[in-house]
Amino acid sequence: MLAILLPLLQASAQNPDAAQIMMKCRDLSITRSMTGKMNLKITEKNGSTRNRTISMTSKSYDGGLEKRLIRFLEPADVRGTAMLIVDNRDIPDEMWIYLPALKKTRRIVTSEKGKSFMSSEFSNADMTSPTLSDFSYKHITVAGPANQWIIESIPVTDDKADEYGFSRRISYIDKDSYQTKKMEFYGFDNRLFKVIEIRDVVLLRDGKYMIRDMAASNLLNGRKSEIVFSNLSEGTDIDDSFFTLRNLEK
Amino acid sequence: MTDFIIKYRWFIIRLFIITGAGSFLIIPGIKTDPDIRNYIPESIASRAETDKIESVFGVQDMIMILFSDGMMISHDNLDIIRKIDRSISRISSISDRISPFTVKSIRSEEGMMVVDPLISIIPSDTDGQKKLEKDISENRFAANTVFSDDLTSAAITATLSSSVPETLNLQKIDSALKTETGNMQILRGGLPYIRKYLLEEVNRDAILLIPAALVIMLLVLKVNLGTWRSVLLPFGIVFVTTALSMALIPLFGWKMSIITVLVPVILIAVANNYGIYLVARFQELSLRYPDLSKKDLIRLLLSSLNMPILFSGLTTVSGLLGLMMHSIIPARQVGLLAAAGVSAALLMSLIVVPVMIYVSGIAKFIRKKKTRTTRRFEKLLGRISEIIIARNGIILAVSLSIVLLFVSGIFLLRINTNQENYFSERHPVREASKMINSKFGGSQTISVMIESDILDPVVMNEIDKMTRWAEGQKGIGNVFSISQIVREMSKAIYTKDEYGYDMIPDTREGIAQMFELYNMSGNPEDYRRLLDPAYTKAHILIKLARPENEIIMFVKSGIDELSKGFPGKVTTGGYALIMADFAHSIIRGQIFSLIFAVVTVFLLLSIIFRSFKGGLIGSVPLIASIIVLLGFMGFSGIELDAATALLSSIMIGVGVDFTIQFIWCYNLKVNSGLSFTEAVPEAMSTIGRSIIINALVVMSGFAALIFSGFTSIRFFGYLVIISIGSCMLGALIVIPAILVRYRPGFIGFKTNKTSENEKENNYAGYPSATVAGVSTKS
Repeated sequence: MLAILLPLLQASAQNPDAAQIMMKCRDLSITRSMTGKMNLKITEKNGSTRNRTISMTSKSYDGGLEKRLIRFLEPADVRGTAMLIVDNRDIPDEMWIYLPALKKTRRIVTSEKGKSFMSSEFSNADMTSPTLSDFSYKHITVAGPANQWIIESIPVTDDKADEYGFSRRISYIDKDSYQTKKMEFYGFDNRLFKVIEIRDVVLLRDGKYMIRDMAASNLLNGRKSEIVFSNLSEGTDIDDSFFTLRNLEK
Repeated sequence: MTDFIIKYRWFIIRLFIITGAGSFLIIPGIKTDPDIRNYIPESIASRAETDKIESVFGVQDMIMILFSDGMMISHDNLDIIRKIDRSISRISSISDRISPFTVKSIRSEEGMMVVDPLISIIPSDTDGQKKLEKDISENRFAANTVFSDDLTSAAITATLSSSVPETLNLQKIDSALKTETGNMQILRGGLPYIRKYLLEEVNRDAILLIPAALVIMLLVLKVNLGTWRSVLLPFGIVFVTTALSMALIPLFGWKMSIITVLVPVILIAVANNYGIYLVARFQELSLRYPDLSKKDLIRLLLSSLNMPILFSGLTTVSGLLGLMMHSIIPARQVGLLAAAGVSAALLMSLIVVPVMIYVSGIAKFIRKKKTRTTRRFEKLLGRISEIIIARNGIILAVSLSIVLLFVSGIFLLRINTNQENYFSERHPVREASKMINSKFGGSQTISVMIESDILDPVVMNEIDKMTRWAEGQKGIGNVFSISQIVREMSKAIYTKDEYGYDMIPDTREGIAQMFELYNMSGNPEDYRRLLDPAYTKAHILIKLARPENEIIMFVKSGIDELSKGFPGKVTTGGYALIMADFAHSIIRGQIFSLIFAVVTVFLLLSIIFRSFKGGLIGSVPLIASIIVLLGFMGFSGIELDAATALLSSIMIGVGVDFTIQFIWCYNLKVNSGLSFTEAVPEAMSTIGRSIIINALVVMSGFAALIFSGFTSIRFFGYLVIISIGSCMLGALIVIPAILVRYRPGFIGFKTNKTSENEKENNYAGYPSATVAGVSTKS
């Protein structure tokens, strides 16, 4: 019995609490403010590609509140379309969208975190800071790269699982930088269906970082989505009036 | 030949046993294909176009789980549905799912566009339930799709991924349904379930029908041949030829279909005839010539029976080969397999049966006295002969009138290609289909793919025009199109009195931005089945509440009309259209195989009787029987489908034998010096009873089909009785009436194999009434 328990006890003694690692990881990825350009490339199974380019400005507030303003640059049909997103920690996000061709601004209410982000393989949840209380965490002992924690996140309820659209997620986190390197998503039949790889980050002060290049591969439909940020700047002072409906319609 | 087969008798017996055993061992390798799509050649337009559409928008075959109760909107019912829906969502091979809990509600609320699930929280009080009822009735994506209009039924629709075998997917769904369902009744429907049940029923039929047909055949043989040893010879031939034909299925790389199950039944009914003739004839000869050696008896047997058996076999094979002209793949397979089986039976009967008789001997079986039934029978045949001689004009006039009457029935003949109708009315999958068709917009679909710049307002408006046209047609249930989503979004963007409400935007950018709006608010996957990600292909999905051939053809022609001048390429496919093509294939196949078989039979009869007039007269009962059969189907409402379409070719194969037998026998009587009139009762007493008994054997073999799980196959069983019966009446009543009335010149042709002994008997070719175990010369 002792022989069985010993490795577990050792693992428990060696590793910090999984939830604490995830919290630190999240904190390091949240920036005070950020501006940049994002290119999203979606590659279909047959090799055809679609590109979208947006400009993005975001600002974080106390209490987990985050505001983002997104403006579409490409493709031409949707140029000028703009979105203002207020990302609340515990209540559904608020979202306004301005449609220049229709000259209308509409507020959108949606609670689906698992839905696709801009028709890509990334979900909305992948694009925002995770809500830690939605999951339970534990270390798992599977073979992986050295110097990485491998942490399993399981939705706390069936409703949360429905909302996020997966049964468990395995995160590979660098032990030194607390940066997430890779995430694997498993379906409800415990089949791996999506892998996100963080291919490049921009290091900031205090150990914080911003993702510059990441790719999501859907193993079920063979589609791949890649996001590359450019012209990134962090910590610039952005006035609160930037995140208003009047600015949205400019 | 006799010396040869006797010399190599043990080799022949070993080869026979090895062939039977080897074939039998291959049979377990047979696989079943319940997908009717595969019955149609890939070259047929609807199949190719459907494949093309499905390569873009995925397979359109959906399963439907149906829940019904007096009132669906209750906390308990909705909670159960949610649990089941959640279990189904956990199956990764479900590629798409529409349920009361996935349907979105797009609405405008205080200046906000709200895209939320129709049911976020299950209402537990009356007010909440009433609000939900109102929401359902106002939501075009919920009413008639996830809830019926009367709110007595709900449905979960799911599309199965082809990455996992369909049977495994259905097992997982069935497992998800193993839960407490309260007062609700649950039904499973949709094409994957139809295929599953078809598969089960085909296998059940194969297990049930073949032994049933064998048992019936054994009993009929026992009654006719008297001893079990005599029975085992034709039975052995049937057993081996059936095994051989079935073994060809995996050897050719084919699969069993709903109609391939007819092959063993055809063989069981037909392949025994030659063996019966031989055994019965041997019984008669051995009784008549007790002093002859066994070898001489066999020589006499073969010299008297080779030719007529060969002719009968050849006409049967040619009739069956007529099915090779069919465009339906399993119909061709049935034709080839049955023709191969009958050919093998012919060959084995002429070689193996005499060898086995030589090796084992056949108990002489003869009833010394005619039974009362036999006497009545002969009296009846005699009476019929008298009527034919005295009233042949009336007989021909009445027969012609009957045939003409049935010609009018042919115009009432309907074609049925709906797989749902293969099942009986009370079958759960049939009940599910009825509910889907009446309450959920239909189970079968027509797909229209438009290739163009879908964001172009001109194109989108044309798509909308086509969608609205489809929505307004009778027989069409639900219609799903990307233009509907655009219009729904416009309702959430504009107020009712604003320009743009419930409209397609005027500009390309307007449409593109609307999709962007949906991408951000709803889930782009929601319309993945209606619009490809590059916005170059759109899909209109039309569900048919009445999946009937006429409706399908009407919708197709309507779409073709709207496609003229359409600003893009329009491709029309879908399972319903494949079914319509299937129907046309049935008609074409029926016509081609009939023409081929009738011409072949006419030529064969012309050769046999050495006269074109003989060929023509010989074809009369056959053509008349085909008309009677099709007319009867028209009057009785039995529809032409995959199985019943094979009837006429099988009938040709089986029924034409009787005509050959009668004319052959009649000719011999005339050759022996009898007049045309005198020959009628003689031929009737010699061959009439054999024909009747043979007809009964064939009918009883096919009678096993009434145990089939499929309505269509059961009808087939009943129709065989009518068609074989009419062939028999044609041979025994119409043919002698024609011969007596018109005295055709071809009668009197000489047969090569007529021996002196046979001339003594007045009849060379047939075992006369000994088929019934009764000697007419006793």
